[in-house]
Amino acid sequence: MKKLSLTTAITAVAFATAGLPALADKAEDKLNVAFTKELENVDSYFNSSREGVVLQRAVWDGLIYRDPVTNEYKGNLATSWEWIDDTTLEFKLREGVTFHNGEAFNADDVVFTVNFVADEANGVKTQRNVNWMKSAEKIDDYTVRIHLKDKFPAAIEFLSGPVSMYPNEYYAEAGASGMGLKPVGTGPYKVVSVVPGQHFVLEKNENYHDSPKGQPTIKTIDIRTVPDVNTQIAELFSGTLDLIWQVPADQSEKLKSMDQFTVANESTMRVGYITMDAAGRSSMDPNPFQDLRVRRAINHAIDRQAIVDSLLKGSSKVINTPCFPSQFGCVQDVTSYEYDPEKAKALLAEAGYPDGFTTEFYAYRNRDYAEALASYLNAVGIKTDFKMLQYSALRELNMKGEVPLAFLTWGSYSINDASAMVSQFFKHGSLDDTRDDEVLEYLNIADSATDPDVRIENYGKALKRITDQAFWAPLFSYNTNYVFKTSVNYSPTPDEVLRFTTMTWN
Amino acid sequence: MTDMTDPLLQEITGPTPGQLLRKRVFGHQGLLIGAIVVAILAIIALLAPLLAPHDPYAQSLMDRMQPPVFLGGTWEHPLGTDHLGRDYLSRLIYGARVSLMIGVIAAVISGVIGTAMGVAAGYFGGKVDAVVTFLINVRLAMPVVLVALAVVAILGGSLTVVIVVLGLLLWDRFAVVMRASTLQVRRREYVAAAQAIGASTPRILLTEIMPNIVNNLIVVVTLEMAHAILLEAALSFLGLGVQPPTPSWGLMVSEGKNMMLFEPWLVLIPGAVLFLLVLAINLMGDGLRDVTAPENRN
Repeated sequence: MKKLSLTTAITAVAFATAGLPALADKAEDKLNVAFTKELENVDSYFNSSREGVVLQRAVWDGLIYRDPVTNEYKGNLATSWEWIDDTTLEFKLREGVTFHNGEAFNADDVVFTVNFVADEANGVKTQRNVNWMKSAEKIDDYTVRIHLKDKFPAAIEFLSGPVSMYPNEYYAEAGASGMGLKPVGTGPYKVVSVVPGQHFVLEKNENYHDSPKGQPTIKTIDIRTVPDVNTQIAELFSGTLDLIWQVPADQSEKLKSMDQFTVANESTMRVGYITMDAAGRSSMDPNPFQDLRVRRAINHAIDRQAIVDSLLKGSSKVINTPCFPSQFGCVQDVTSYEYDPEKAKALLAEAGYPDGFTTEFYAYRNRDYAEALASYLNAVGIKTDFKMLQYSALRELNMKGEVPLAFLTWGSYSINDASAMVSQFFKHGSLDDTRDDEVLEYLNIADSATDPDVRIENYGKALKRITDQAFWAPLFSYNTNYVFKTSVNYSPTPDEVLRFTTMTWN
Repeated sequence: MTDMTDPLLQEITGPTPGQLLRKRVFGHQGLLIGAIVVAILAIIALLAPLLAPHDPYAQSLMDRMQPPVFLGGTWEHPLGTDHLGRDYLSRLIYGARVSLMIGVIAAVISGVIGTAMGVAAGYFGGKVDAVVTFLINVRLAMPVVLVALAVVAILGGSLTVVIVVLGLLLWDRFAVVMRASTLQVRRREYVAAAQAIGASTPRILLTEIMPNIVNNLIVVVTLEMAHAILLEAALSFLGLGVQPPTPSWGLMVSEGKNMMLFEPWLVLIPGAVLFLLVLAINLMGDGLRDVTAPENRN
């Protein structure tokens, strides 16, 4: 209860000072931003959080850049690229680019970075981001070839996202921990100070190359970790923060009604879903989720539209597919299940559970959404033993196959390709709760085909099979609220990445 | 509590011990107020299904966070609705059940363990005392909240787990106080007299020792009851106690926390009832000690 009284005190102070003029940070040319989660390591290959992606896009560059508005691929550190064959990509590199420490950017950096991250022994945190690359080869100082392990049509998308280029000489010396403390990249902002997990100060890179990311305008970005959203709002009132994001819908609504703040809402690629132990891996006996009727009943039991309208709000949508509709291959012509609790009850009765059953129900984020879902399940007779765990703990349990029913979400690392979600969960990996051979077959074809039509056709077949068998209950897409002072000008993008380069003062 | 009926004394002084006790009870304001509040809350908890205007589990996402009637809400939901549109008053009423149940059962479990250990240590002394003192020290060296958090994190939070964990953790004060109280009385003449006429050890413990230390026990019971209720609220607040959708005051505070800046009543209402209950139990405990303490009997 101690924590509570502390927050109350802060709130009281914040309200007391809310009437005072805000600190003149525009005059100082310094933007104060809050992160909610502690970032474990600034080195973008060794963290897996959204905050890490934000810093990665500010401090480093990839070979390619995807325009977040038009989704068009543009050259960033590379000026052009072409497929030599199905598994070889050749890049012409941009000349005259230097890293923040003065080291020149050339083919050696690309070769070093790719070879380093592709080697599983180096322990890059999200292997899926890099394990499709085999190696890189220097042709000349500004020409590089990347060899793929296998056909991988989403390569361009990944190269424009999580794969950023590191300085070879510096990284060889500093390593991941050194990079985490004193990051060096080619990006629009350089890092001037790091207090791990707590405080990051970025400064405009005056020598930034002519990148499609655009030139930075705000001189200093000061990022602090403030875990409690009420404290963030209090600091916004008192003027010590200029921009907060991932603000829950209810608070954003209230802030919107005050005229000192701009509230911008953008959808994100994150999709919420309920996964069911259709493969029968958990210890439940009998396992109701192996019965198609039970899985369909769960799909019918939940009023997704009401949850979107009342809880998520903003630009969230009801989702029928186990992928985000804008992703390539995420065909929307699938079986969908309308809210019909009576039908759900009838299906349960038909499956031999006229009085429902009791199951463990896991969740790791958005406890309020999870509670609402549990409530809907209770209403049709499925009693839930609700368990809220940390993400890592739940993931581990899920890998061991001990999770009968869970509310999970997946943000696809903002990769605009269905493989980043469907193939992640339905290819018989440890996180696959369904293990359906037919789905695996379609996905294997879709993931390795280079012909876009073949990919779409097979993702479509896989998605139809998944939704028809009701392996998941896809629920809704997320949205993010960005709240900032009216002195700040910013248009958020749908990929949930804060782009400091496009922020300006009004 | 003990009736030391002495017809001779009664004839001389007039008022019976019962009358004296009644006089002390009704003359003690704190005790009266505490007892009345606890009684009211206990009745509310017992009659929850009759008193609650709505089903505490019925969610209505369209009616989320309606304000209470004194902040402009409607009588449909006198204390408003929570973040899932559930009636706040009904949840509060059902939450009283959870809080009182945890308080009473946890205090009984820890009371039985602690009293048995404390009385044994105080009465037998020697090796028994050394072992019990060691156990008390071990127990005191572990911070309750930390251990409770760890155990609940491993076993998963549920009503049963919370009650058992708290019951098994809060016996230390019982043991310490009972041991000290027993030490004080075991050399008294009446104990020696009982031993001299050959009374069995259980008989001495139950009829000679216990009645003379029970007033201390009552105080500790009330303190630990309040302690257990607060700990449950703290654990639930942290998400490790009673699991949703079970209504619990700690959980209600936790669920309202995010909107605290804009809808403070979401936190204030369950916080205020929690405060009231814990205060009332403590008042009652203090009062009971005052009216039953042997030094007060003259």
